[in-house]
Amino acid sequence: MILSLSGLCLRSTAQEIKYIEYDLDNGLHVILHQDKRAPVVAVSVMYHVGSKDEDPQRTGFAHFFEHLLFEGSDNMKRGDFMKIVSSNGGQNNANTSQDRTFYYEIFPSNQLELGLWLESERMLHPKIDNVGVKTQNEVVKEEKRLRIDNKPYGKFAENIFTHLFEGHPYSWQPIGSMAHLDAAKLDEFIAFFKKYYVPNNAVLTIAGDLNIEKTKDLVAKYFNEVPKGMPVVKGSFELKPIARQIVDTVYDANIQIPAIFAAYRVPGMKSRDNKVLEMVSTILSGGGSSRLSTKMVDEKKTALQVAAFNYTLEDYGAYITLALPNNNTSLNDLLIDIDAEVVRLQTDLISESEFKKLQNQFENGYVSANTTMIGVAENLSNGYTFHNKNTNDLNEQLAQIKSITREEIRDVAKKYLSKDQRIVLYYLPKK
Amino acid sequence: MKKIFTLAIAALFVQAVSAQKLDRSQKPKPGPAPTITFADPVIYKLPNGITVLVVENHKLPKISASYSIDAGPITEGEKAGVIGLLGGMLNEGTTTQTKAQFDEAVDQMGAEVGVSASGGQASALTRYFGDAFLLMADALRNPSFPQASFDKLKSQSLTNLKSSERSATAISGRVVNALSFGLNHPYGEFETEQSINSITLDDVKAAYKKYVTPSRGYLTFVGDIKPEAAKALAIKAFGDWKGPVLTFPVLTRVSNPAKTEVDLVNVLKAVQSEITVTNLIDLPMGSPDYHAVLLANQILGGGADAKLFRNLREKHGFTYGAYSKTGSGRLQSTFSASASVRNEKVDSAVIEILKEINVMRTKKVSPEMLQDAKNLYNGSFALGLENPARGAGFASSILINNLPKDFYRTYLQKLNAVTADDVLRVSKKYFLHDNARVVIVGKTEMFLSGLKKSGFNIKEFSGYAEPIKMK
Repeated sequence: MILSLSGLCLRSTAQEIKYIEYDLDNGLHVILHQDKRAPVVAVSVMYHVGSKDEDPQRTGFAHFFEHLLFEGSDNMKRGDFMKIVSSNGGQNNANTSQDRTFYYEIFPSNQLELGLWLESERMLHPKIDNVGVKTQNEVVKEEKRLRIDNKPYGKFAENIFTHLFEGHPYSWQPIGSMAHLDAAKLDEFIAFFKKYYVPNNAVLTIAGDLNIEKTKDLVAKYFNEVPKGMPVVKGSFELKPIARQIVDTVYDANIQIPAIFAAYRVPGMKSRDNKVLEMVSTILSGGGSSRLSTKMVDEKKTALQVAAFNYTLEDYGAYITLALPNNNTSLNDLLIDIDAEVVRLQTDLISESEFKKLQNQFENGYVSANTTMIGVAENLSNGYTFHNKNTNDLNEQLAQIKSITREEIRDVAKKYLSKDQRIVLYYLPKK
Repeated sequence: MKKIFTLAIAALFVQAVSAQKLDRSQKPKPGPAPTITFADPVIYKLPNGITVLVVENHKLPKISASYSIDAGPITEGEKAGVIGLLGGMLNEGTTTQTKAQFDEAVDQMGAEVGVSASGGQASALTRYFGDAFLLMADALRNPSFPQASFDKLKSQSLTNLKSSERSATAISGRVVNALSFGLNHPYGEFETEQSINSITLDDVKAAYKKYVTPSRGYLTFVGDIKPEAAKALAIKAFGDWKGPVLTFPVLTRVSNPAKTEVDLVNVLKAVQSEITVTNLIDLPMGSPDYHAVLLANQILGGGADAKLFRNLREKHGFTYGAYSKTGSGRLQSTFSASASVRNEKVDSAVIEILKEINVMRTKKVSPEMLQDAKNLYNGSFALGLENPARGAGFASSILINNLPKDFYRTYLQKLNAVTADDVLRVSKKYFLHDNARVVIVGKTEMFLSGLKKSGFNIKEFSGYAEPIKMK
């Protein structure tokens, strides 16, 4: 028993991700990981800025920058960023969450220096002007139409988060408000950039076919001159507990089959309980033999689809269960069946065999998690950004998971998945 | 049998890094071109027709296997949906274990096992792989076809159909193929409530007997396994499997419209319209045009740096993205350029897409554009090697498409030899402007008059590709 808790029984040494890390004088945190098995290098920058850092009257800024920072720089014409990447055999992209923005390029390994030039140009002196703001404003509106307005079930997150995180910036979505973006002046964009897109609020992670010493020299060459910004102070928001179940209804013209959601506020990604909730999700809906799938899809045939997942964020998280009915089953009947399984988890310990199954499922996921260089880069950056500067978090995750007991699973389910503290959302077709 | 092949990326020239004072206006030159290596799989042939390919890679303590039956497209006719249901039924239990027991066994190992009418996959940690693989074989070879499962899957299919009834994206996917290939072609047919309702469990069993077989089967292992061990496992699971001999289907040829036409489907609630400009093409991978078409497509609509994206998104802001793609292979396929565009800009967007196609057909691309596209392909070839399954994919593609053995070894060499004249020639041949089909699925009242003004030949269809009389 003691041995299994210590994590010593893991055979994970073969997969340990090795890395070095250090800070530049301007505060940029640098992480390097070498893997020469394929001629590939991933260059990434994670800025610790997301929609939760926005002014409530100017939502959508962080995501807007995901677009704006491809507009070019003092040394790059408008639109050349993506052209330079692809014409040199690379790929690039970026994504924005409530908590951070992640920019990256993947190149054949002889283009490492180009990747560093691109990311340092972006950090040092990007082109932020009215022409770029106007173009990207249209593009972001199209993105919203595509990903949210025209997408079946695309509005569930905003409708849940509005209630679940009332009083916290998580109450709005990263895409933000189009009216806010229309109203924003160029000065406001420039001020947002100067505040958050500074080396002391960023992690530069490079993974792949590289030479560590040479890469250190190149990083210094391109990033040393980026000036340090003001210290970034994160807002802190304490939310009042939800006292009674909140019920809401949303209508969507893109759907024919309704859905029901139940969402609970849970602790953020640093907490151990968050990991326990990942396990709860797997028990409920991970794989064909999971409890909800077996009962509702296979046995009772009342659900077309059923799922439980942990929407993990930095300050808090949302634990969401959902179902789509089959055979015209009523949404309330689906909710009753889901709730019964939640109560069973809160009351009875899972069996030893289920526990063993969980551990195998997580080990399999862990082994598969770091197969690409960009995946490794993101996981390393996540550790530093979100886990108290513990870059090694990715190497410790499996041991943490393995140390969670059956009793903890029961207790955490009981602590957070309470009916009084949740939002129930009826998601209905708009006639 | 196992060979390691080496080549250099020709387009990414060798350059030394110089250590001068930093001039940021000069973007850095590439370092020495990396060496590209990929391993040929070890290949075995089983007496029942299954080809076994093994790529040994001990990077992670994990193995995956896939089985793929090269039956070609299957024409389902009035029973459209039967192959999908068959795929579902193969996951509903075997003669020795119920679905619940089967799923439990898979999950207990933390493994992933899934099968369909055209094959299956199994992946697991090394220590569990043998058992996971045998479960996949059991699902393929000994399905029990319980009636209750069939009823469940059928009702799910009907519910699913209903769920996408209003989705412009789903309607577009269905109608573009139906109009391009015709309703009697396996690529053009689609399932409906009526076709699903007409399917019986016996239909599913009959389809199983006909199509799930070792004939034309390719079994690929990738990961922490020795070739001999993989072969032994293949023989243990499939060695005594018998089934009908498949022949690759011969399909009726279909043609492009005599004159470019616009086919509309009205979706009242659509926020964006789906535009697809398409024509049929014949492009076997062994065709001398193949590499030139890849580059031409890249230049027109292969990504964020291509003409369509630059024009429709970056210049006009009509859309979040505009792309083109070309099919290839043994059968007729399509070239298509597409975008999801906000309703009020649909007519303008159609004109811009056709304009860019026309430019490709009439003007030689610049040397810079061509070189950029080549560089991109050279780069993606290198990036693709991160995936250890790549070598197996190359080998099975050579076998299936009957390509020369050195197809992938000479791939970049041939690609880098393509000229601007080649690109112009293939654009004319494969990207049609005067015989194209423009399919628009969206809120038609927002753009119909604009399209009419532009003088298009316009037809209207239902979401199921039935002609509607225009008002």
